[in-house]
Amino acid sequence: MNLIFALLVTRQFLSKEQIRQSIADYRESSQQAFERKFDRDKDELRELGIAIETGTNDKYFEDEPGYRIRRDVAELPDLDLTREEAAVLGLAAQVWEHSGLASESATALLKLKAAGIQVDTDVLRTAEPRLSANEPAFDTAWEAATRRIPVTFVYARPGGEQMQRHVQPWGIISWNGRWYLGGHDLDRGEPRLFRLSRVVGDVEHDGAPGSYEVPPEASLSDLARALYPPRPDRTAVLHVRAERAQSLRRQAASVAPVDGVTDRVELPYSSSRDTAGEIASYGTDVVVLEPEDLRARVVERLRAALEVTS
Amino acid sequence: MNRTRAQVLRMLALVPYLQGNDGIPVADVAREFGVPPRQIQEDLRLLMYTGVGEYAGELIDFDLGALEEDGVVHIRDAEFMTRPLRLSTSEGVALIVALRTLRASAGENELPIIDGALAKLESAVGDGGVEAPVDVHVGTADPAVQSTLQRAVTQGERVEIEYANASRDERTVRRIDPRRVFIENGQLYVEAWCLRAEDLRFFRLDRVLSARTTGERAEEHDGAPRDLSEGFFTPGDDTPSAILDLTPAAAWIQEYYEAQDLGTVTRPDGSVAQRVRLHGSDWTWLTRLALRHAGAVHVVEPVDLAARVAAEARAALDAYSG
Repeated sequence: MNLIFALLVTRQFLSKEQIRQSIADYRESSQQAFERKFDRDKDELRELGIAIETGTNDKYFEDEPGYRIRRDVAELPDLDLTREEAAVLGLAAQVWEHSGLASESATALLKLKAAGIQVDTDVLRTAEPRLSANEPAFDTAWEAATRRIPVTFVYARPGGEQMQRHVQPWGIISWNGRWYLGGHDLDRGEPRLFRLSRVVGDVEHDGAPGSYEVPPEASLSDLARALYPPRPDRTAVLHVRAERAQSLRRQAASVAPVDGVTDRVELPYSSSRDTAGEIASYGTDVVVLEPEDLRARVVERLRAALEVTS
Repeated sequence: MNRTRAQVLRMLALVPYLQGNDGIPVADVAREFGVPPRQIQEDLRLLMYTGVGEYAGELIDFDLGALEEDGVVHIRDAEFMTRPLRLSTSEGVALIVALRTLRASAGENELPIIDGALAKLESAVGDGGVEAPVDVHVGTADPAVQSTLQRAVTQGERVEIEYANASRDERTVRRIDPRRVFIENGQLYVEAWCLRAEDLRFFRLDRVLSARTTGERAEEHDGAPRDLSEGFFTPGDDTPSAILDLTPAAAWIQEYYEAQDLGTVTRPDGSVAQRVRLHGSDWTWLTRLALRHAGAVHVVEPVDLAARVAAEARAALDAYSG
């Protein structure tokens, strides 16, 4: 603490010896012990996110380097938050259900409060999202993505073989409550997403921090979009029993009654395979009128269901 | 974070905080900082050994009389640090990702507020801002439905919803007293007292087809909020379940539905399949799953389920044979 305060108040760079003289614990240590403590404390400050600047007071003389903390860099600038924005940050601090990130958000909120920001979350009504991360690989993946550290891990697709993968992480993404690591897959030479719950064992570092660049055109969202079904580009015409097949009706372009018991439903879709499965799952409640290939796929699926018992 | 690091960060925040809140009771400080009052007392004691030098006036000091007699804090000689430290990168990223999560689930009214907070926060992190390489996607809901339900929660209103139950394929109209809107596994839900079920229920917002306020007030109902730490679905002894053989094309089902792994088996046709026990909310859901993935999923047990799947398929095929 005293090191922070001493370096914070100084405008000039303090030499190592000046620092030693001004702090009792340093002064009373042997030279060797002081060097060790000073290095340890500097590391600790860096870990706290406090940048120590080194330089000399007089550029014309080869002074020994001095140290200082620049106040404008170290201090929290005035954020000028509105009452609602402060409330939003208060809610954000409650989102993480992950011990490490929950305490990071908590200390961040303390700093905001220390800057005189009033955090009253009652002024807002909003959903209460929770972000949890139970995947054992999460912490290492998070660190690797934020510090650009190449990683390697064993990855197992369900029903597939386990394989050692080598990845330059671009980022991580939560999609439908599941965490994925996205990046450049060195084994395949292309961008890939890896589901963290499928990582077997530990994620290991495979290079130094910052040893690769994330390409400017890299987009995790684009990668993640591959997880979404593509946009519908075709339309099926169905007969659906009244009041049935609720999920299909929600995606329908139009629903018109044919008679009291049947509706004619126009359903935009993209994947014949997935849509045929969805329609087959409704059994007698849904019949495909067109197109022919979707009709054929549904029939094929239903025939397969007959063979289940044979 | 180890205890000392958390303590150092707290003490560094206390110095400017106490200067901005002169005369604040220790109990209030403890509440704001989320630690017991004894911890704050210890922090203050340690702070008195710190400062920019070692002489009177260079060390942080407290009005000990006021502290001991009235339990209030007056800090002195700390003018060298009146502002807290900048947010570290990891603190900033944690909050930014949390804000993005809030944004993904926010109603239209909150979006500009969240965007404003995000922009200001990003400028306050590390040196020169930060780009958090973490993204969060959340399932979407009809904004009109969402804002009606969120208003009902804060105003204590009763709402009538039209709800499509996916597993039983039913559409029902229910009157509910909403308690909270929240996100679980990337989906928006409302927890509400359902007057039809006379019990607490969860409704997925993307399955709420419409919502309108009734003009009635919500009532207080007994019923503790359900503990969701184990997820929504906790199978019991009565929960329907089936033994299924999954071909490689359907192997994802085991992971997706967290089915119990019963090992690999060789099917009568010589192919290798993964055998699992899968619990379902009801038999209709299990039947539909078997129909949807027919060919890739084989029902082993119970025979009733296998028969039901086959009967449904046979009846459905009749419509195509004409």
